[in-house]
Amino acid sequence: MALPVNVAAAPAGPARTVSARHFVRLKLRVMGNNFRGQGWRVALFIGGALVGLWFAASGFFLFAAPGLADNGRYAVLIAAAGGGLLVLGWLLLPLVFFGVDETLDPARFALLPLPRRTLVIGLFAAALVSVPVLAMSVAVLGLVLTAWALGGWSAGLVAVVGVLAGLLLCVAASRAVTSAFASMLRSRRVRDLAAVLLAVAAALLGPLQIVGLAALRETDWTRLTGAATVLGWTPFGAPWTVGIDVAQGRVWAAPLKLLITVAAIVALLAWWSRSLESAMVGTASTGKAPAQRGATGGAVAQLFPRAAGWVRRDRFGALVAREARYWWRDARRRANLITIAVVGIFVPVLINVTGGDFAAEDGAGFTAAVGDSSPVVVTVSMLFVGVLASVTLANQFGFDGNAYAANVVAGVPGRVELRARMTAFSLYVLPMLAVVAVVLSALLGRPGWIGLMLGSLAATYGAGLAVNSFVSVLAAYSLPETSNPFAMNSGAGVAKGLLTLLSMIITTVIGVPMVVAAALLGNAWLWLALPVGAAYGLGAALLGAYLAGDVLDRRQPELLATVTPRR
Amino acid sequence: MTGEHPALALRGLAKRFDGTIAVAGVDLDVPAGSFYGLLGPNGAGKTTTLSMAVGLLRPDAGSAWVLGQDVWRDPVAAKRLLGVMPDGVRLFDRLTGAELLAYHGLLRGMDPAVVDQRAAELLDVLALGDAGRTLVVDYSAGMKKKIGLACALLHGPRVLVLDEPFEAVDPVSAALIRDILTRYAAGGGTVIFSSHVMEVVERLCSHVAILAQGTIKRVGTIADVRGGRSLEQVFVEVVGGRTATGDELSWLSR
Repeated sequence: MALPVNVAAAPAGPARTVSARHFVRLKLRVMGNNFRGQGWRVALFIGGALVGLWFAASGFFLFAAPGLADNGRYAVLIAAAGGGLLVLGWLLLPLVFFGVDETLDPARFALLPLPRRTLVIGLFAAALVSVPVLAMSVAVLGLVLTAWALGGWSAGLVAVVGVLAGLLLCVAASRAVTSAFASMLRSRRVRDLAAVLLAVAAALLGPLQIVGLAALRETDWTRLTGAATVLGWTPFGAPWTVGIDVAQGRVWAAPLKLLITVAAIVALLAWWSRSLESAMVGTASTGKAPAQRGATGGAVAQLFPRAAGWVRRDRFGALVAREARYWWRDARRRANLITIAVVGIFVPVLINVTGGDFAAEDGAGFTAAVGDSSPVVVTVSMLFVGVLASVTLANQFGFDGNAYAANVVAGVPGRVELRARMTAFSLYVLPMLAVVAVVLSALLGRPGWIGLMLGSLAATYGAGLAVNSFVSVLAAYSLPETSNPFAMNSGAGVAKGLLTLLSMIITTVIGVPMVVAAALLGNAWLWLALPVGAAYGLGAALLGAYLAGDVLDRRQPELLATVTPRR
Repeated sequence: MTGEHPALALRGLAKRFDGTIAVAGVDLDVPAGSFYGLLGPNGAGKTTTLSMAVGLLRPDAGSAWVLGQDVWRDPVAAKRLLGVMPDGVRLFDRLTGAELLAYHGLLRGMDPAVVDQRAAELLDVLALGDAGRTLVVDYSAGMKKKIGLACALLHGPRVLVLDEPFEAVDPVSAALIRDILTRYAAGGGTVIFSSHVMEVVERLCSHVAILAQGTIKRVGTIADVRGGRSLEQVFVEVVGGRTATGDELSWLSR
């Protein structure tokens, strides 16, 4: 029936076993090919590496400080707390902010006859080859220096082992968590639930930090050292403190702590390997969703969500309606919205409220002493929220991918396109910003400042929309076509970071007049801030759409080419 | 009105990517009212050529006109006459079929009432009405082609440019797409589509052009190009594929 394939001639087993080395080489090759003929990518990569180096150096000196000062008192505290923060960062930051490097997408290996163990170890090894890992290994060398300075060669050697284990732990943790979340989010039904869970988990960081900071001022350092000692016995602190333990004569602790670390790594890898399987199978066939009925009205009526019902039924309206639907239906975009909501609430609360003391009077919990915050501080924190909210649009065309071709073929004018995108995004963000202002003014007990807050928010948000219109038109990049909402290309990773940073800096500069006004104008500004800020933001946004729209008209095909994922 | 102009005219279109030449100077005249097949093996430059012809990809050299309107000098006028279904391009697939049609219609500046009426008809004819509230991302490959075609047809374009409309489509859907295209051409529209399925091209097209290695190798009415042989024979000869294998793959058979 089919072609008679000579099965007997096929080798019984693979001629050569596949090892982690192959995965590492594959990753390096993919990264190298990404750079080929793209000078600017190389430049961005080097820029990112320098930023990484700077962080690495500052981390190094922080960790090395007890050793350099030859003072062992706070060594455990710094090692456990600093190292614990590193692990926590690797665990949560990919989820909330940066995405995970999917240069080697597990789904690509689905058809290869590889044992799962080989695949996991290989992908793990490949994940270790990255700038952040390199930067962190430089930073934690500071711990080795401390251990060596305090306890000589033997302690230093143990610290090296501990630090290496810690690095492995961090990478394993980030892989396992993102992979687990990604496979959860792959099913659209679970996605809603998972998004909420993620938001709550991230949200918990805020209050914990507040409590932690409040505790910091209450407790004396010796009690904190006690907490650090306890932390040192969990996977968060164990790998980082072994060197110091040996240096301070607790040699028996070192093997136990290393055992804890290794057990944690193994558990994380096992977890990762389980979710990896579903990630590989998941992309092959997502299954067909059951046809849902209940469509009412004509096609046009169906397109417009209720929140956008007021928009005219024309070209602008269609763009607004489609974008509004996409901010909700596209998991990648929705993850961004959740980030804005969570960080937008908690950062200003942190900045403004932790400045004061917490008095748990009347069991009310948050009764902040008002005196510590000032209109200037509030304005600065609002500046941050506005910048954060608007920077989400820095790669707004990248979200579309090559579906953007539809707009190019239809010849949509650039100004209409940009104005519509701003409008649709604002449908979600403006209510969030209003909530931020209300919550913060309630927490501070300063209802009179609400106009100030709203004004600063509107001004920076509007300015950010303008700045990011330019960034999104001139410096778009493609996002990989995977169902993992946290995925991004490693080549684009560094570029993304730098561009985001640049657009945030420019937006902040444009927002600074609001801070100056808050500092100089005194009480009158409390009333003027809202109308002035709203006008400032609206004007900036419209001007941005006007000018960037012109650029977009000339660059449509080029923009389409840059956001088209390379296959 | 524009009877004196060809539906699509390409002159010296060329494009290179990272040093590789994808299209090396394509000249082509597609007569108005013709059913034009653009044939070529994988990687011949079909998609690149069509993308440059409709304004999706800026050519390194050359020009394209749609019914006399320069695509790159006056894109708005040219794009108004065009309906395009690009290959491998994702649609805005997190919309339902009806929403997607409404989006395309309004984007083309159509009256909402007309959009509603035409969308309902298209969904009905293309048997997509049953999909209801299913998102396009969950459609099968054939359904995606059909909704893509519906989007290209919705505003009643004078020239229809389709990239691989029959790729990965089951026979039932293919027959339906064929019927609709035939009817559109009979009504005075011009269809240009790329394909490497000989049977479809032979059955449908009035004209063909064979594209290989970025240049046009044969062009003319289908009878001219065939010259009494089957289209497949001509195609394989022009493209220069090998037709027989010797001993190389002997391990495939016992």
